[in-house]
Amino acid sequence: MALARLSWSKLVHRRYALFLLLVAPAFLLRLTTAAYPILQTILLGFTNLDILKGTDEFVGLQNYARMGTDYGVQNALSFTVIYVLSSTVLQLTVGMLIALLLNASFRGRTFARTINLIPWAIPTIVAGYGFRWLLDEQFGLIPYWLFELTGIRLVAFISPVSARVAVVLGHVWKDAPFMAVVYLAGLQGVPQELYEAATVDGAGAWQRFWRITVPLIMPLTITMGLFRTVWSLAGFDLIYGMTFGGPGVATTVLALQVFREGINFFKFGFASAISVVLLALVAIVGIFALWLYRKTDVAY
Amino acid sequence: MSQRLPVRSLRWNSVGIYASFAAFTLVVLLPVYWIARSSLSKAAVLRKLPLVYFPPVTWDNFRTLLDQIPFLDYLRNSLAFALTTTLATLIVSYVAAYAFARIRFPGSGMILWVLLISMALPEVGTIVPLYRLLSSLRLLDTLAGLTLVLSSTLTPFTVWVLVAFIKQVPYEIEEAAVIDGASLPQVLLRILLPVIAPGLVTMGLINFINAWNNLLYPLSFSTSPSSKTLSVAITEIYAGFSPYGKPWELVSAVGVTMVFPVVILILFSQRAIVSGLIRGAIK
Repeated sequence: MALARLSWSKLVHRRYALFLLLVAPAFLLRLTTAAYPILQTILLGFTNLDILKGTDEFVGLQNYARMGTDYGVQNALSFTVIYVLSSTVLQLTVGMLIALLLNASFRGRTFARTINLIPWAIPTIVAGYGFRWLLDEQFGLIPYWLFELTGIRLVAFISPVSARVAVVLGHVWKDAPFMAVVYLAGLQGVPQELYEAATVDGAGAWQRFWRITVPLIMPLTITMGLFRTVWSLAGFDLIYGMTFGGPGVATTVLALQVFREGINFFKFGFASAISVVLLALVAIVGIFALWLYRKTDVAY
Repeated sequence: MSQRLPVRSLRWNSVGIYASFAAFTLVVLLPVYWIARSSLSKAAVLRKLPLVYFPPVTWDNFRTLLDQIPFLDYLRNSLAFALTTTLATLIVSYVAAYAFARIRFPGSGMILWVLLISMALPEVGTIVPLYRLLSSLRLLDTLAGLTLVLSSTLTPFTVWVLVAFIKQVPYEIEEAAVIDGASLPQVLLRILLPVIAPGLVTMGLINFINAWNNLLYPLSFSTSPSSKTLSVAITEIYAGFSPYGKPWELVSAVGVTMVFPVVILILFSQRAIVSGLIRGAIK
């Protein structure tokens, strides 16, 4: 309200003051609920703060040393890398295929474009339980169809390998449509003349795709791939619903491990140290991104 | 021959397209069909072989939810959480985006980047300090606490998209208003707001969906029906047992309750949502 009383021209002269005033709420929010907590997390990672045990001392690098021998964390780290990389690559590929479909002209295209948003919009936790139920070995639709067609009994969540494949495919189902939305916009931005000229020169559909479409949407692929990688590192809703990290710890990712150690077991110190590892992975992706952008001269 | 060939290849091409369209539709809708079917069926019918594709419709599962858990509280919390978060995010982001779009000086772009880069911080890595922060502010297990935290998370992306929307509006409109003596709040509310309303609606929809779907914060900070949301409710019901094993019919009923509003939003605003997503991803 004080704002209204100040005259506009005075404020224009104080452009910096005005700027500060307008961005202050956003930055206050980010400082209190993102920057400060992250710094706290880094500090807590050096303590053995444990609410149930009642310990709270500085322990140096003990949490990190413990991770070196903790099978659960080692497994979570390696599966996080597998999960994030394989699902990002598959999401980009499937997203591209969906975008090509949505860009073709056929009856029902608007319908297809609309339902394409459903996987993106569905709560991830619901998708997680939905897939678990869909893959239920006794009464799930997919094992049922598979058995009727081939006689194979699919028991997805007992073996580590099939559980891992299942969560990666679930992740692709959930997020490939988002990639498709972005790719579709990219495809629509490719000048039609390029395709026409190439057709005149005798290029087939396959050649046109590899020689024109792919290079032109490369910047988009790199940017989206990096964004997805960072977001996938942080997410755990789908795995929480589909497997809760099981069987055993086969599908536990670092984000889920942080949640369980911190919120379920109140081992705040240890959970924070795992968070720092997660943060380091994000930083590695970020540094890789900077290097890639410098090298390929791709602005976002 | 030379005339028939293109026609034949065209036909094969469209067969391919319609086959892909059918496969795509099946894969996208299969999980939706599965939970919808399970939510409207009696528990025993779901455990029959051969599977019953369209069981007789019953509303028993929803009735059970209403009877056995504070379902309406959860529903109300989800709605209140999503609406207040959407509104708070839009207000904070709109004024910040205005500053970034209209007040340029050396370094202002860097400041925007700092805000955007904070999006990369994994949220789960902040929950332990946030838990302690909310606890010291007495905001644990409150909708206000959840709203505070999630609004912050959604703000950077919203600012980014709104900056793009505001930059598209010619500055002359505001200039003329200022010369006529309009104050800053007047410019923001009366002059610019109607022009960028589509952008605000788009980001409102995207943020509503994000907040409605959010699991991490309520799962971490809510301990009672006073702030638990549907996303927490579904995890609790899954953790329970029924005489038939996992209570899939109840899990599905909560799932359908959560999916229904977002699917309705998508059906009516596909274009608006897509425009926001694209602006966020492409410059």
